[in-house]
Amino acid sequence: MASAANANINAARETMDVLLEISRLLNTGLDMESLSICVRLCEQGINPEALSSVIKELRKASESLKTSENCTS
Amino acid sequence: MALDQKSPNVLLQSLCCKVTGKSEAEVAHQFQYAVRVIGSNYAPTIEKDEILVTDKIKKELLRQRRVEDAAVFSELHKKLQGQGVLKHRWSVLYLLLSLTEDPRKPPSSRVGPYSSLFAQPLPRDAHSTPFYCTRPQSLSLSYGDRLQSGLGSGPGPGLGSSLGTSGISSLGVYSVNGPTPTPQSLLAGQPQSASLASRLAWALPVNSAPSAAMAPPTARPVPSPKLSRSRRDTDTTGEVSEASLVRDILYVFQGIDGRFIRIDSKVVLSKSLRDLSSRLLDRAFGLVGQSFCAALHQELKEYYRLLSVLHSQLQVEEEQITTLSSDSSLTLRRLLVWMYEPRFRLRTLAALVDFCQGRKGGELASAVHAYGKTGDPQMRALIQHVLSLVSHPILHCLNRWIYDGELDDTYHEFFVASDPNVKTDRLWHNKYSLRKSMIPSFISMDQARKVLLIGKSINFLHQVCQDRTPPGKITAVSKTAEDPKAAAELLCDLEGAFQEKIDAAYLHTSKYLLDVLNRNYLLLEHLQAMRRYLLLGQGDFIRHLMDLLKPELARPATTLYQHNLTGILETAVRATNAQFDHAEILKRLDVRLLEVSPGDTGWDVFSLDYHVDGPIATVFTRECMGHYLRVFHFLWRAKRMEYTLTDIWKGQMCNAKLLKTMPELSGVLHQCHILASEMVHFIHQMQYYITFEVLECSWDELWTKVQRAQDLDHIIAAHETFLDSVICRCLLDNNSRSLLHQLRSIFDQIIEFQSVQDSLYSLRLQEEERRRKREEEGEWGVTAEQEAEEKRRIQDFEKTVPKMSSQLRLLTHFYQSLVQQFLVLLMTSPDESLRFLSFRLDFNEHYRAREPRLRASLGTSRGRRLSNI
Repeated sequence: MASAANANINAARETMDVLLEISRLLNTGLDMESLSICVRLCEQGINPEALSSVIKELRKASESLKTSENCTS
Repeated sequence: MALDQKSPNVLLQSLCCKVTGKSEAEVAHQFQYAVRVIGSNYAPTIEKDEILVTDKIKKELLRQRRVEDAAVFSELHKKLQGQGVLKHRWSVLYLLLSLTEDPRKPPSSRVGPYSSLFAQPLPRDAHSTPFYCTRPQSLSLSYGDRLQSGLGSGPGPGLGSSLGTSGISSLGVYSVNGPTPTPQSLLAGQPQSASLASRLAWALPVNSAPSAAMAPPTARPVPSPKLSRSRRDTDTTGEVSEASLVRDILYVFQGIDGRFIRIDSKVVLSKSLRDLSSRLLDRAFGLVGQSFCAALHQELKEYYRLLSVLHSQLQVEEEQITTLSSDSSLTLRRLLVWMYEPRFRLRTLAALVDFCQGRKGGELASAVHAYGKTGDPQMRALIQHVLSLVSHPILHCLNRWIYDGELDDTYHEFFVASDPNVKTDRLWHNKYSLRKSMIPSFISMDQARKVLLIGKSINFLHQVCQDRTPPGKITAVSKTAEDPKAAAELLCDLEGAFQEKIDAAYLHTSKYLLDVLNRNYLLLEHLQAMRRYLLLGQGDFIRHLMDLLKPELARPATTLYQHNLTGILETAVRATNAQFDHAEILKRLDVRLLEVSPGDTGWDVFSLDYHVDGPIATVFTRECMGHYLRVFHFLWRAKRMEYTLTDIWKGQMCNAKLLKTMPELSGVLHQCHILASEMVHFIHQMQYYITFEVLECSWDELWTKVQRAQDLDHIIAAHETFLDSVICRCLLDNNSRSLLHQLRSIFDQIIEFQSVQDSLYSLRLQEEERRRKREEEGEWGVTAEQEAEEKRRIQDFEKTVPKMSSQLRLLTHFYQSLVQQFLVLLMTSPDESLRFLSFRLDFNEHYRAREPRLRASLGTSRGRRLSNI
């Protein structure tokens, strides 16, 4: 039913909003898109510990890349 | 959540792009790294407890002194719970928690050199799958360089070689391939920590690939770069902190590359073990293999648990910013000490896995057991534990086999094999056999044989004897709890408890089987019946039968009908003591007519027969029955000779008085008598030999063995020995063919003699008759020509006398030569009782006098014997 699908989408959107709030509270630095990707990964059963360490690594890598670019440039 | 089902890989890639802000191509390396991390950490090490996570979050917020934020969070969380869209709420919350950053903390500026390290391409991994098996070859940080530059007191190659000889796994040569740009900033001074780190890194368990599918090993750990013992918290210098080194090492223990320490090995221990155990769960390895893998899994779980404990401790310490290097910190040294024993265990297990490669079932258990014969008590304890788990399925199988007779062996790993093609009648002999390769080394051959016998007996009872008593009644089974603990106990006490168990089961089952056979199937009765009928034990019956059959069997074989003979058999049975025999036995007694060759009389084709079926047929197999029939034939013939001679003797006695009236026949008759006595003596001795020395002695042996038998195998073996010895001594086996032939000729001569004598007597009787008639008629009215005729007849008659005499003489001569030859053959026979027979046959050296060969062959031994008499 369209209404049921709509209801689902609304519920999903609400949940995402709540999660975004929590994420902002905790100062995780995740924007909406990243957060949604992360939520989807977790829902598919990925280990959150591993995921968090990956994200941390990625951040550090990107930072270091930026700093190196800044240095070289 | 309206989740579009994108695969995790795609999502991960887009996450990488998002977080780093780069395009897809540029984040390829990071993506690979991410995939690797996630792939190797598929199971979380913490509890999936949502409440715990939310509490932690609140605590964190409170720690940051944001009380109202904590309240806001609680509300949000309640809302989240109310919505119920997410399935893995705790997972998301945990993720957010771990990504939390304290706004007061300075941005963590971990070390610059990340750039060079992390940005280096992971060679050849760009397109490999997460669970890749091949490893990059380059990226080894050359050990030699680093050591030489300033380590000095470092271990050097000696460490490597010493480690190579210690421990079980082989240590490869350290690689010097692939020069890598070593970040110069990583090289620093202090030898001590460096040596520790390098020792720890060296101590990374090295494993040769447990399976051929994995790449061949050239494993070598990569030593860590030197580092300075700095403070645990973040440092802004260009050096690597010990904490991060520790963390890296923990990662390496799990099989993931750390930041600084890369694994250059093709396969790392724990990962290899895990892969191996998952692959070994493949069905080809059977139940024992599966329990082996379960044991390995347990060990691995313990290992991971320890690692996660260490890891969490590390994390706790990281979060507590204020603590400096204190006593409870996780230093490299502590790590070394704590990891020592788990590493030892894993190394042992890895070696064990190598050793047991490719085996299954009982072989695997034997291999593990052999491996456990070591002096090191730790290793022995570990191997014992593994062994008890591994042998549990075998012992379980054994229990079922011993007590239920059931063989549930889909993977063919038990040491008793069952042949499904064998039908019930050959069940005992052919169906079950021992698979020698699968006998574990802690079960002896004797025990294995007994086990086979027990199960065989139970199956025999169920299928052949149709006996369905539950096994609980057969053996007083105290079914020990079927768990690995019981198996371990049994293994510890193999000599005692295990042996007792098997012996008890064996005794009870065999005894029960013998009881059933004797009670329900009258095995012993049938054995005796064989003796009485087929081996001519029941004298009166045989005699009567022969009397009744004589006229029948004298006819040519083709005119005989079976039902006639069967009728005669029954008459004989009813008239003698045989009628008191068990009805079962009499039912099976029958007449069998052998194949007729031309010229046969009834004597040649007649035979008795005994039908066997069911469980009795296991003891009296078809070959046995064949043997019995051959022996019967031989005995029957000998008996017939006896009867023939009796008849001859009767005839002689009756006609003796006729000697008076015809004195011209006295010479001939005398010859007849002498020959008859010779023959009688011969046959007498033969019969004595057969009846007493052969049959009675062997039978006695058989009977004692059967009475003492403990299981059916004993009975079968004793029976076969009995038949073998009877056949051998009755001259029926292959070696004595010439003897048998000789004997047969002798028998033929006796029959010939009988016919000659009969014709002689009939001739004489005729003559007698005629003379008497003449006399009765008197001399009155006898014409001259009648008298002349009479005279002529008498002359004719008298001429026939010498003819008969010569005929008899020929016969005698021939007979005697046959006997002499027989005696010569007997003398040279290897069997002692046959030699004694020859002695008895020629007790007065009657033949020896005539036969020079006998004299020569006997030689001095005979003379000595004579002198002893």
